[in-house]
Amino acid sequence: MNAQNAYSSKAAQDERRSFLDPRTKLALTATLALFVLGGLGGERMEPVKTVLSALPFLLLLVEREWKRFFRGCLMLGIGYGLLVLMPHLPRALGFFALMCGGILTRFVVTVVMGEYLVASTSVSEFISGMEKLRMPAAVTIPLSVMFRLFPTIGAEWKSIRRAMGMRGISMGGGRAGEMLEYQLVPMMTSSVRIGEELSASALTRGLGGPVKRTNICRIGFRAQDWILLGLCLAVFALWILGLFGWEVGV
Amino acid sequence: MNQNETKLGGRDLINVGIYTAIYFAILMAVAMLGMIPIFLPLLSVLVPILGGVPFMLFLTKVKKPGMVFIMAMIMGIMMLLTGMGPWPLLTCAAAGVLAELCLKSGNYRSAKKSVLAYGLFSLWIFGNYLPLFTDYEGYFAQRESYGQAYIDAVSKLMPLWMAPVLLAACFVCGILGGMLGRALLKKHFEKAGIA
Repeated sequence: MNAQNAYSSKAAQDERRSFLDPRTKLALTATLALFVLGGLGGERMEPVKTVLSALPFLLLLVEREWKRFFRGCLMLGIGYGLLVLMPHLPRALGFFALMCGGILTRFVVTVVMGEYLVASTSVSEFISGMEKLRMPAAVTIPLSVMFRLFPTIGAEWKSIRRAMGMRGISMGGGRAGEMLEYQLVPMMTSSVRIGEELSASALTRGLGGPVKRTNICRIGFRAQDWILLGLCLAVFALWILGLFGWEVGV
Repeated sequence: MNQNETKLGGRDLINVGIYTAIYFAILMAVAMLGMIPIFLPLLSVLVPILGGVPFMLFLTKVKKPGMVFIMAMIMGIMMLLTGMGPWPLLTCAAAGVLAELCLKSGNYRSAKKSVLAYGLFSLWIFGNYLPLFTDYEGYFAQRESYGQAYIDAVSKLMPLWMAPVLLAACFVCGILGGMLGRALLKKHFEKAGIA
Protein backbone atom coordinates (compact mmCIF):
# COMPACT_ATOMS: atom_id res chain seq x y z
CA MET A 1 0.00 0.00 0.00
CA ASN A 2 1.18 3.47 -0.80
CA ALA A 3 2.39 5.49 2.17
CA GLN A 4 0.55 8.66 1.20
CA ASN A 5 -2.75 6.82 0.81
CA ALA A 6 -4.77 6.78 3.99
CA TYR A 7 -6.34 3.43 4.88
CA SER A 8 -9.85 4.69 4.21
CA SER A 9 -9.07 6.45 0.93
CA LYS A 10 -10.68 5.12 -2.19
CA ALA A 11 -7.34 4.36 -3.80
CA ALA A 12 -6.13 2.33 -0.81
CA GLN A 13 -9.33 0.31 -0.74
CA ASP A 14 -9.11 -0.31 -4.48
CA GLU A 15 -5.62 -1.63 -4.02
CA ARG A 16 -6.70 -3.97 -1.23
CA ARG A 17 -9.67 -5.21 -3.17
CA SER A 18 -9.41 -8.92 -3.81
CA PHE A 19 -9.78 -10.53 -7.20
CA LEU A 20 -13.25 -11.90 -6.56
CA ASP A 21 -16.35 -10.65 -4.81
CA PRO A 22 -17.00 -12.44 -1.48
CA ARG A 23 -20.35 -13.67 -2.79
CA THR A 24 -18.65 -15.34 -5.75
CA LYS A 25 -16.20 -17.01 -3.38
CA LEU A 26 -19.04 -18.35 -1.27
CA ALA A 27 -20.87 -19.67 -4.34
CA LEU A 28 -17.68 -21.38 -5.51
CA THR A 29 -17.01 -22.91 -2.09
CA ALA A 30 -20.55 -24.28 -1.91
CA THR A 31 -20.33 -25.71 -5.43
CA LEU A 32 -17.01 -27.38 -4.67
CA ALA A 33 -18.27 -28.78 -1.36
CA LEU A 34 -21.37 -30.24 -3.00
CA PHE A 35 -19.87 -31.63 -6.19
CA VAL A 36 -16.20 -32.40 -5.55
CA LEU A 37 -16.38 -33.36 -1.88
CA GLY A 38 -20.03 -34.39 -1.62
CA GLY A 39 -19.86 -36.38 -4.84
CA LEU A 40 -23.17 -35.05 -6.16
CA GLY A 41 -23.92 -36.23 -9.68
CA GLY A 42 -21.72 -39.32 -9.50
CA GLU A 43 -19.53 -40.61 -12.31
CA ARG A 44 -21.17 -38.58 -15.06
CA MET A 45 -19.92 -35.29 -13.60
CA GLU A 46 -16.30 -36.46 -13.40
CA PRO A 47 -14.90 -34.13 -16.14
CA VAL A 48 -16.71 -31.15 -14.64
CA LYS A 49 -15.20 -31.99 -11.26
CA THR A 50 -11.70 -31.95 -12.68
CA VAL A 51 -12.25 -28.42 -13.99
CA LEU A 52 -13.72 -27.34 -10.66
CA SER A 53 -10.82 -28.90 -8.74
CA ALA A 54 -8.26 -26.80 -10.60
CA LEU A 55 -10.02 -23.54 -9.74
CA PRO A 56 -8.92 -22.98 -6.13
CA PHE A 57 -5.29 -23.55 -7.12
CA LEU A 58 -5.56 -20.99 -9.94
CA LEU A 59 -7.23 -18.52 -7.59
CA LEU A 60 -4.42 -18.86 -5.06
CA LEU A 61 -1.96 -18.06 -7.85
CA VAL A 62 -3.97 -15.01 -8.87
CA GLU A 63 -3.89 -13.74 -5.28
CA ARG A 64 -0.12 -14.46 -5.13
CA GLU A 65 -0.51 -16.83 -2.16
CA TRP A 66 2.57 -18.84 -3.12
CA LYS A 67 2.99 -20.63 0.19
CA ARG A 68 -0.58 -21.90 0.33
CA PHE A 69 -0.42 -22.84 -3.35
CA PHE A 70 2.68 -24.98 -2.89
CA ARG A 71 1.35 -26.56 0.29
CA GLY A 72 -1.84 -27.53 -1.56
CA CYS A 73 0.16 -28.95 -4.47
CA LEU A 74 2.40 -30.86 -2.08
CA MET A 75 -0.56 -32.49 -0.33
CA LEU A 76 -2.15 -33.38 -3.65
CA GLY A 77 1.18 -34.78 -4.84
CA ILE A 78 1.57 -36.93 -1.73
CA GLY A 79 -2.00 -38.18 -2.15
CA TYR A 80 -1.54 -39.24 -5.76
CA GLY A 81 1.94 -40.55 -4.99
CA LEU A 82 0.50 -42.88 -2.37
CA LEU A 83 -2.18 -44.08 -4.79
CA VAL A 84 0.46 -44.83 -7.43
CA LEU A 85 2.77 -46.55 -4.96
CA MET A 86 -0.02 -48.58 -3.40
CA PRO A 87 0.06 -51.71 -5.64
CA HIS A 88 3.81 -52.10 -5.02
CA LEU A 89 3.58 -52.10 -1.24
CA PRO A 90 3.00 -55.08 1.08
CA ARG A 91 -0.66 -55.69 1.90
CA ALA A 92 -1.07 -53.98 5.25
CA LEU A 93 0.97 -50.97 4.24
CA GLY A 94 -0.82 -50.84 0.89
CA PHE A 95 -4.20 -50.64 2.58
CA PHE A 96 -2.96 -47.76 4.68
CA ALA A 97 -1.49 -45.97 1.66
CA LEU A 98 -4.70 -46.37 -0.30
CA MET A 99 -6.75 -44.91 2.53
CA CYS A 100 -4.43 -41.95 3.12
CA GLY A 101 -4.19 -41.30 -0.60
CA GLY A 102 -7.94 -41.52 -1.04
CA ILE A 103 -8.57 -39.16 1.84
CA LEU A 104 -5.93 -36.65 0.72
CA THR A 105 -7.05 -36.54 -2.89
CA ARG A 106 -10.67 -36.23 -1.82
CA PHE A 107 -10.23 -33.43 0.71
CA VAL A 108 -7.31 -31.33 -0.54
CA VAL A 109 -9.29 -29.39 -3.15
CA THR A 110 -11.94 -28.23 -0.70
CA VAL A 111 -9.33 -27.50 1.96
CA VAL A 112 -7.46 -25.33 -0.54
CA MET A 113 -10.71 -23.57 -1.46
CA GLY A 114 -11.44 -22.92 2.20
CA GLU A 115 -7.94 -21.57 2.70
CA TYR A 116 -8.38 -19.28 -0.28
CA LEU A 117 -11.71 -18.05 1.08
CA VAL A 118 -10.30 -17.31 4.54
CA ALA A 119 -6.98 -15.87 3.34
CA SER A 120 -8.33 -13.53 0.69
CA THR A 121 -11.48 -12.23 2.39
CA SER A 122 -11.35 -9.64 5.12
CA VAL A 123 -14.06 -9.68 7.76
CA SER A 124 -15.49 -6.38 6.46
CA GLU A 125 -15.71 -7.74 2.94
CA PHE A 126 -17.42 -10.87 4.20
CA ILE A 127 -19.94 -8.90 6.24
CA SER A 128 -20.78 -6.45 3.49
CA GLY A 129 -21.15 -9.31 1.03
CA MET A 130 -23.53 -11.10 3.37
CA GLU A 131 -25.47 -7.88 3.96
CA LYS A 132 -25.92 -7.46 0.23
CA LEU A 133 -27.28 -11.00 0.12
CA ARG A 134 -29.77 -9.81 2.78
CA MET A 135 -28.63 -12.47 5.22
CA PRO A 136 -29.96 -11.85 8.73
CA ALA A 137 -27.48 -10.71 11.38
CA ALA A 138 -28.14 -13.97 13.26
CA VAL A 139 -26.23 -15.80 10.51
CA THR A 140 -23.74 -13.16 9.42
CA ILE A 141 -22.29 -12.24 12.82
CA PRO A 142 -21.60 -15.76 14.16
CA LEU A 143 -20.15 -16.88 10.83
CA SER A 144 -17.83 -13.89 10.52
CA VAL A 145 -16.68 -14.34 14.12
CA MET A 146 -15.99 -18.00 13.37
CA PHE A 147 -13.92 -17.31 10.28
CA ARG A 148 -11.95 -14.72 12.20
CA LEU A 149 -11.37 -17.11 15.12
CA PHE A 150 -10.35 -20.33 13.33
CA PRO A 151 -6.75 -19.31 12.61
CA THR A 152 -6.44 -17.95 16.15
CA ILE A 153 -7.71 -21.17 17.70
CA GLY A 154 -5.28 -23.14 15.56
CA ALA A 155 -2.33 -21.00 16.64
CA GLU A 156 -3.33 -21.12 20.31
CA TRP A 157 -3.76 -24.88 20.23
CA LYS A 158 -0.37 -25.34 18.63
CA SER A 159 1.48 -23.26 21.20
CA ILE A 160 -0.37 -24.84 24.12
CA ARG A 161 0.48 -28.30 22.82
CA ARG A 162 4.11 -27.27 22.60
CA ALA A 163 4.11 -25.84 26.11
CA MET A 164 2.42 -28.92 27.55
CA GLY A 165 4.75 -31.20 25.60
CA MET A 166 7.61 -29.52 27.40
CA ARG A 167 6.04 -30.62 30.66
CA GLY A 168 5.63 -34.16 29.39
CA ILE A 169 1.88 -33.97 28.80
CA SER A 170 1.31 -35.01 25.23
CA MET A 171 -0.61 -37.35 22.97
CA GLY A 172 0.27 -40.99 23.23
CA GLY A 173 1.53 -40.80 26.78
CA GLY A 174 -1.40 -42.99 27.76
CA ARG A 175 -2.76 -40.14 29.77
CA ALA A 176 -5.80 -39.14 27.76
CA GLY A 177 -7.56 -37.56 30.73
CA GLU A 178 -4.66 -35.31 31.55
CA MET A 179 -4.26 -34.39 27.93
CA LEU A 180 -7.88 -33.37 27.76
CA GLU A 181 -7.72 -31.29 30.88
CA TYR A 182 -4.41 -29.57 30.31
CA GLN A 183 -4.75 -28.94 26.60
CA LEU A 184 -8.44 -28.41 26.00
CA VAL A 185 -9.01 -26.20 29.02
CA PRO A 186 -6.23 -23.66 28.35
CA MET A 187 -7.04 -23.66 24.65
CA MET A 188 -10.64 -22.79 25.42
CA THR A 189 -9.77 -20.25 28.08
CA SER A 190 -7.49 -18.31 25.78
CA SER A 191 -9.84 -18.59 22.79
CA VAL A 192 -12.71 -17.26 24.88
CA ARG A 193 -10.53 -14.39 26.15
CA ILE A 194 -9.48 -13.48 22.62
CA GLY A 195 -13.07 -13.79 21.49
CA GLU A 196 -14.23 -11.43 24.19
CA GLU A 197 -11.68 -8.80 23.20
CA LEU A 198 -12.78 -9.27 19.62
CA SER A 199 -16.37 -8.79 20.63
CA ALA A 200 -15.57 -5.57 22.51
CA SER A 201 -13.78 -4.18 19.48
CA ALA A 202 -16.53 -5.26 17.09
CA LEU A 203 -19.22 -3.70 19.29
CA THR A 204 -17.40 -0.37 19.43
CA ARG A 205 -17.40 -0.42 15.65
CA GLY A 206 -21.16 -0.82 15.71
CA LEU A 207 -21.64 -4.49 14.87
CA GLY A 208 -25.11 -5.61 15.90
CA GLY A 209 -26.24 -2.04 16.45
CA PRO A 210 -29.74 -0.89 15.59
CA VAL A 211 -28.55 1.36 12.75
CA LYS A 212 -27.56 0.12 9.32
CA ARG A 213 -23.79 -0.10 9.07
CA THR A 214 -21.82 1.44 6.26
CA ASN A 215 -18.62 -0.02 4.94
CA ILE A 216 -15.60 1.40 3.19
CA CYS A 217 -14.44 -1.77 1.54
CA ARG A 218 -15.26 -2.07 -2.13
CA ILE A 219 -17.04 -5.16 -3.35
CA GLY A 220 -19.10 -5.79 -6.43
CA PHE A 221 -19.26 -8.07 -9.43
CA ARG A 222 -16.70 -7.67 -12.19
CA ALA A 223 -16.13 -9.70 -15.33
CA GLN A 224 -14.29 -12.51 -13.49
CA ASP A 225 -17.15 -12.79 -10.98
CA TRP A 226 -19.76 -13.16 -13.71
CA ILE A 227 -17.68 -15.81 -15.47
CA LEU A 228 -17.20 -17.92 -12.32
CA LEU A 229 -20.81 -17.47 -11.21
CA GLY A 230 -21.84 -18.57 -14.69
CA LEU A 231 -19.65 -21.63 -14.28
CA CYS A 232 -21.31 -22.52 -10.96
CA LEU A 233 -24.74 -22.12 -12.53
CA ALA A 234 -23.70 -24.26 -15.49
CA VAL A 235 -22.54 -27.04 -13.14
CA PHE A 236 -25.87 -27.00 -11.33
CA ALA A 237 -27.75 -26.90 -14.64
CA LEU A 238 -25.79 -29.92 -15.88
CA TRP A 239 -26.58 -31.79 -12.70
CA ILE A 240 -30.32 -30.99 -12.91
CA LEU A 241 -30.42 -31.97 -16.59
CA GLY A 242 -28.72 -35.21 -15.58
CA LEU A 243 -31.46 -35.88 -13.04
CA PHE A 244 -33.99 -35.83 -15.86
CA GLY A 245 -31.98 -38.36 -17.79
CA TRP A 246 -30.24 -36.05 -20.22
CA GLU A 247 -26.95 -37.44 -21.39
CA VAL A 248 -24.64 -34.53 -22.04
CA GLY A 249 -21.54 -35.46 -23.91
CA VAL A 250 -18.83 -33.70 -21.92
CA MET B 1 -39.96 -10.30 29.88
CA ASN B 2 -39.45 -7.08 28.01
CA GLN B 3 -38.00 -6.65 24.57
CA ASN B 4 -34.42 -6.17 25.76
CA GLU B 5 -34.32 -9.44 27.63
CA THR B 6 -35.48 -11.64 24.78
CA LYS B 7 -34.04 -9.98 21.70
CA LEU B 8 -30.60 -11.19 20.66
CA GLY B 9 -28.04 -8.39 20.61
CA GLY B 10 -24.66 -8.09 18.95
CA ARG B 11 -22.84 -9.50 21.95
CA ASP B 12 -25.03 -12.62 22.06
CA LEU B 13 -24.45 -13.33 18.39
CA ILE B 14 -20.70 -12.84 18.79
CA ASN B 15 -20.77 -15.31 21.69
CA VAL B 16 -22.56 -17.83 19.47
CA GLY B 17 -19.75 -17.38 16.96
CA ILE B 18 -16.96 -17.81 19.52
CA TYR B 19 -18.30 -21.00 21.05
CA THR B 20 -19.40 -22.51 17.74
CA ALA B 21 -15.86 -21.96 16.46
CA ILE B 22 -14.35 -23.76 19.47
CA TYR B 23 -16.92 -26.58 19.26
CA PHE B 24 -16.27 -26.98 15.55
CA ALA B 25 -12.48 -27.00 16.00
CA ILE B 26 -12.73 -29.78 18.58
CA LEU B 27 -15.19 -31.68 16.40
CA MET B 28 -12.84 -31.53 13.42
CA ALA B 29 -9.84 -32.63 15.46
CA VAL B 30 -11.79 -35.66 16.72
CA ALA B 31 -13.47 -36.38 13.39
CA MET B 32 -10.08 -36.95 11.75
CA LEU B 33 -9.99 -40.18 13.78
CA GLY B 34 -13.13 -41.32 11.92
CA MET B 35 -10.98 -42.03 8.89
CA ILE B 36 -9.96 -45.21 10.69
CA PRO B 37 -12.96 -47.53 10.30
CA ILE B 38 -13.21 -48.63 13.95
CA PHE B 39 -13.42 -45.02 15.11
CA LEU B 40 -16.34 -44.17 12.83
CA PRO B 41 -19.06 -45.48 15.19
CA LEU B 42 -16.99 -44.31 18.17
CA LEU B 43 -17.33 -40.72 16.98
CA SER B 44 -20.87 -40.76 18.38
CA VAL B 45 -19.21 -41.29 21.78
CA LEU B 46 -16.14 -39.04 21.50
CA VAL B 47 -17.69 -35.98 19.89
CA PRO B 48 -20.50 -35.50 22.44
CA ILE B 49 -18.16 -36.07 25.38
CA LEU B 50 -15.41 -33.68 24.27
CA GLY B 51 -17.85 -31.16 22.82
CA GLY B 52 -19.56 -30.96 26.19
CA VAL B 53 -16.79 -28.77 27.58
CA PRO B 54 -17.22 -25.81 25.20
CA PHE B 55 -20.98 -26.29 25.10
CA MET B 56 -21.49 -26.08 28.85
CA LEU B 57 -19.28 -22.99 28.90
CA PHE B 58 -21.44 -21.59 26.11
CA LEU B 59 -24.62 -22.25 28.11
CA THR B 60 -23.34 -20.04 30.94
CA LYS B 61 -23.62 -17.19 28.41
CA VAL B 62 -27.04 -18.24 27.10
CA LYS B 63 -29.83 -16.35 28.78
CA LYS B 64 -32.06 -15.74 25.78
CA PRO B 65 -33.99 -18.03 23.46
CA GLY B 66 -32.56 -18.69 20.02
CA MET B 67 -28.83 -18.86 20.65
CA VAL B 68 -28.60 -22.65 20.84
CA PHE B 69 -30.80 -22.99 17.77
CA ILE B 70 -28.54 -20.64 15.78
CA MET B 71 -25.50 -22.66 16.88
CA ALA B 72 -27.17 -25.87 15.71
CA MET B 73 -28.05 -24.39 12.33
CA ILE B 74 -24.52 -23.08 11.83
CA MET B 75 -23.16 -26.54 12.60
CA GLY B 76 -25.53 -27.83 9.89
CA ILE B 77 -24.19 -25.31 7.39
CA MET B 78 -20.60 -26.16 8.31
CA MET B 79 -21.32 -29.87 7.82
CA LEU B 80 -22.75 -29.08 4.38
CA LEU B 81 -19.58 -27.18 3.53
CA THR B 82 -17.35 -30.00 4.77
CA GLY B 83 -19.11 -32.46 2.50
CA MET B 84 -21.39 -34.34 4.89
CA GLY B 85 -24.41 -33.70 2.67
CA PRO B 86 -27.77 -32.14 3.50
CA TRP B 87 -28.86 -34.61 6.20
CA PRO B 88 -27.14 -32.89 9.14
CA LEU B 89 -29.10 -29.70 8.38
CA LEU B 90 -32.33 -31.57 9.18
CA THR B 91 -31.09 -33.22 12.34
CA CYS B 92 -29.48 -29.95 13.45
CA ALA B 93 -32.80 -28.12 13.12
CA ALA B 94 -34.61 -30.83 15.09
CA ALA B 95 -31.92 -31.12 17.79
CA GLY B 96 -31.68 -27.34 18.08
CA VAL B 97 -35.43 -26.99 18.65
CA LEU B 98 -35.45 -29.81 21.23
CA ALA B 99 -32.52 -28.28 23.13
CA GLU B 100 -34.16 -24.85 23.06
CA LEU B 101 -37.44 -26.26 24.43
CA CYS B 102 -35.57 -28.06 27.20
CA LEU B 103 -33.64 -24.92 28.19
CA LYS B 104 -36.82 -22.87 28.01
CA SER B 105 -38.56 -25.20 30.46
CA GLY B 106 -35.70 -24.53 32.91
CA ASN B 107 -35.96 -20.79 32.22
CA TYR B 108 -32.36 -20.87 30.89
CA ARG B 109 -31.06 -21.20 34.46
CA SER B 110 -31.48 -24.80 35.56
CA ALA B 111 -28.21 -26.76 35.73
CA LYS B 112 -29.92 -30.14 35.26
CA LYS B 113 -31.87 -28.92 32.28
CA SER B 114 -28.71 -27.60 30.66
CA VAL B 115 -27.06 -31.04 30.86
CA LEU B 116 -30.20 -32.59 29.37
CA ALA B 117 -30.27 -29.88 26.69
CA TYR B 118 -26.74 -30.82 25.65
CA GLY B 119 -27.81 -34.46 25.37
CA LEU B 120 -30.62 -33.40 23.05
CA PHE B 121 -28.33 -31.05 21.13
CA SER B 122 -25.87 -33.91 20.55
CA LEU B 123 -28.52 -35.80 18.59
CA TRP B 124 -27.61 -33.71 15.54
CA ILE B 125 -24.45 -35.79 15.15
CA PHE B 126 -26.64 -38.68 14.03
CA GLY B 127 -27.31 -36.75 10.81
CA ASN B 128 -23.73 -37.48 9.71
CA TYR B 129 -24.44 -41.22 9.87
CA LEU B 130 -27.82 -41.10 8.16
CA PRO B 131 -26.60 -41.55 4.57
CA LEU B 132 -24.95 -44.80 5.70
CA PHE B 133 -28.39 -46.21 6.41
CA THR B 134 -30.60 -44.43 3.88
CA ASP B 135 -28.32 -44.20 0.87
CA TYR B 136 -25.82 -46.99 1.38
CA GLU B 137 -24.61 -47.18 -2.24
CA GLY B 138 -24.26 -43.44 -2.68
CA TYR B 139 -22.25 -43.17 0.52
CA PHE B 140 -19.67 -45.67 -0.58
CA ALA B 141 -19.62 -44.51 -4.20
CA GLN B 142 -18.12 -41.25 -2.88
CA ARG B 143 -15.58 -43.12 -0.83
CA GLU B 144 -14.58 -45.64 -3.46
CA SER B 145 -11.05 -44.27 -3.53
CA TYR B 146 -10.46 -45.35 0.08
CA GLY B 147 -10.24 -48.93 -1.13
CA GLN B 148 -12.41 -52.03 -0.84
CA ALA B 149 -10.88 -52.93 2.52
CA TYR B 150 -12.16 -49.69 4.03
CA ILE B 151 -15.63 -50.21 2.59
CA ASP B 152 -15.79 -53.80 3.87
CA ALA B 153 -14.63 -52.75 7.33
CA VAL B 154 -17.16 -49.93 7.59
CA SER B 155 -20.11 -51.92 6.29
CA LYS B 156 -19.31 -54.71 8.76
CA LEU B 157 -19.25 -52.16 11.58
CA MET B 158 -22.46 -50.48 10.48
CA PRO B 159 -25.35 -52.93 10.09
CA LEU B 160 -28.83 -51.44 10.12
CA TRP B 161 -29.41 -52.12 13.82
CA MET B 162 -26.56 -49.74 14.59
CA ALA B 163 -28.82 -46.78 13.68
CA PRO B 164 -30.80 -46.68 16.94
CA VAL B 165 -27.65 -47.60 18.90
CA LEU B 166 -25.79 -44.61 17.46
CA LEU B 167 -28.72 -42.30 18.14
CA ALA B 168 -28.87 -43.48 21.75
CA ALA B 169 -25.08 -43.21 22.08
CA CYS B 170 -25.21 -39.58 20.96
CA PHE B 171 -27.80 -38.80 23.62
CA VAL B 172 -26.24 -40.73 26.51
CA CYS B 173 -22.73 -39.50 25.77
CA GLY B 174 -24.15 -36.01 25.40
CA ILE B 175 -25.41 -36.26 28.99
CA LEU B 176 -22.00 -37.57 30.10
CA GLY B 177 -20.25 -34.81 28.17
CA GLY B 178 -22.53 -32.26 29.76
CA MET B 179 -21.61 -33.55 33.23
CA LEU B 180 -17.92 -33.52 32.33
CA GLY B 181 -18.33 -29.98 31.06
CA ARG B 182 -19.97 -28.89 34.31
CA ALA B 183 -17.22 -30.53 36.37
CA LEU B 184 -14.53 -28.71 34.39
CA LEU B 185 -16.49 -25.46 34.68
CA LYS B 186 -16.37 -25.74 38.45
CA LYS B 187 -12.74 -26.81 38.53
CA HIS B 188 -11.21 -24.40 36.02
CA PHE B 189 -13.38 -21.88 34.29
CA GLU B 190 -15.04 -20.37 37.34
CA LYS B 191 -11.62 -19.81 38.87
CA ALA B 192 -10.39 -18.24 35.64
CA GLY B 193 -13.38 -15.93 35.76
CA ILE B 194 -14.88 -16.79 32.38
CA ALA B 195 -17.89 -18.88 33.42
